[in-house]
Amino acid sequence: MNLTAQQAREMAHLIGLDIPEADLKVVALRLASLLTAMEAIERELGPLMDKTEPIPPVFPQEPAD
Amino acid sequence: MEDSELAYLSAAEQGRLIRSRKLSPVELVQHSLARIERYDPVLRAYITVCAEAALAAAREAETEIGRGRYRGPLHGLPFGVKDQLCTRGIKTTLGSRIFADHIPDHDATVITRLRNAGAILIGKENLHEFGKGGTHVFYHGQPRNPWDIARTPSSSSSGSGIAPAAGFSSGSIGEDTGGSIRGPAAANGVVGLRPTFGRVSRHGGLMYAWTADTLGPLTRTVEDNALFLQAIAGYDERDPLTSRREVPAYGAALGKDLKGMRLVVVREMTWPDGVHPEVRAAMESAIEVLRSLGATVGEISLPWAKHAIPLGMLTSDADVASMYVPLLRSRWAEFDAGTRSRMATAAMVPAAVYSRAMRARAVVRNQILAAFDRYDALLCSTSLKPAGLIDEAREVVRSAADMAQRIILRRISTHPFGVANVPTLAVPAGFTQAGLPLSLQIAGKPFAEATVYRVGHAYEQATPWHTRHPALAETTRAARVIENGVTS
Repeated sequence: MNLTAQQAREMAHLIGLDIPEADLKVVALRLASLLTAMEAIERELGPLMDKTEPIPPVFPQEPAD
Repeated sequence: MEDSELAYLSAAEQGRLIRSRKLSPVELVQHSLARIERYDPVLRAYITVCAEAALAAAREAETEIGRGRYRGPLHGLPFGVKDQLCTRGIKTTLGSRIFADHIPDHDATVITRLRNAGAILIGKENLHEFGKGGTHVFYHGQPRNPWDIARTPSSSSSGSGIAPAAGFSSGSIGEDTGGSIRGPAAANGVVGLRPTFGRVSRHGGLMYAWTADTLGPLTRTVEDNALFLQAIAGYDERDPLTSRREVPAYGAALGKDLKGMRLVVVREMTWPDGVHPEVRAAMESAIEVLRSLGATVGEISLPWAKHAIPLGMLTSDADVASMYVPLLRSRWAEFDAGTRSRMATAAMVPAAVYSRAMRARAVVRNQILAAFDRYDALLCSTSLKPAGLIDEAREVVRSAADMAQRIILRRISTHPFGVANVPTLAVPAGFTQAGLPLSLQIAGKPFAEATVYRVGHAYEQATPWHTRHPALAETTRAARVIENGVTS
């Protein structure tokens, strides 16, 4: 996935962040990389994810001994 | 007893000497403070040293013990905590300029419990800003590896790893979301435990990855680690996600052989592309030691484990970032450059992606948990490489390749067990030819801390690694050389 600095700027504005130009490219690169990774995960695990509820993996959801 | 001899005794041995009144808590705390004063200007393990309060507590402990009121094996021992844990009346900075003068009005539960056990808080330990790995410039001083000061002590509980390694304290409490206890344990050559989520109260910890954050001990030996966990584990009404399960006697798991134990190496977390040859050799050697102790050691593929890193960043990072958006809006320039770019990225993750990532986390976790149906513990190296040079280890992102190498691959050994929320122990597993520590990681099923301690202790006792300690006098000399500009 490509994410331009301008797109990242506009996304940041939606949550009230005004990110300086010097940092914007890094943020765009980081977010694009994570979203690309998520696309790959969807391709590999998507059907299983559809059948798995997003329950946080915290107590008391721990399995019994 | 020589200067470093006392400092490098195990906490258990220091405790035995105190109990038998061959060692005074005041003497031990004074000794720790003297080492901190001498070496910490170089190593920067601490942001705040509580010298006066620690000495007062040591005198109180000495009086109590003298009157026959011995509280247990931690009575009179100095400990430190990552400066992410609230301390009443003592600065809690989170390693940030923004919180440089923040003084809480309460103690974290783990601190209260250690104090009740008679342990003495000696200081607040340096960390990556807000406990997020990737700090570029440390506002409270650059933490350095005691084995080689040009190298990183790893992230993010950096000072919590340095302190026991350097003999500044008997143990530390760090925080681990995706590897922040285990990484510093590996880099500094000490033992670090990420407990099961829910085993240790998070109350008083200023950390917001509410589905993954854990608090755990970093110590010089496995026995010490079990002693610290024993003191801090258990239900806390102030943390609704702590378990009401009984806390077992962890010491009972130590000293047993490994006959009949089924261990398994996770292929993707141990032998991926990029693993350092000395790390590979140490791992192969560790497997042979474990076999010689009676365990069977197989190999398993967990192909979805690699997804844990982006999934952790899309979810746990987003949970943290959500709490800091107001500060990112108003005080952007006061954040470290590495922290603010990581947090801003996480703050912008679309809600639908977050929700799908939480589903994927459950899928990845289920694959890891299923392995415990057939095996008692999973194994891998704690880090793919020995501690890197500080400048090279900074998580500077200039390209997609940087993101893959510096951010994703680096975490492949630790993040999956964080996402799975299983107890995981890092134990010293050798040294490189250059003298840098290497580490073995042992993961068990939820609440099986006793199992990972059993394996870790058997391995530790069969190897000499925990008996080696950094030569800090040489460290000081090296620092002088750096100050004089002879090298960089």
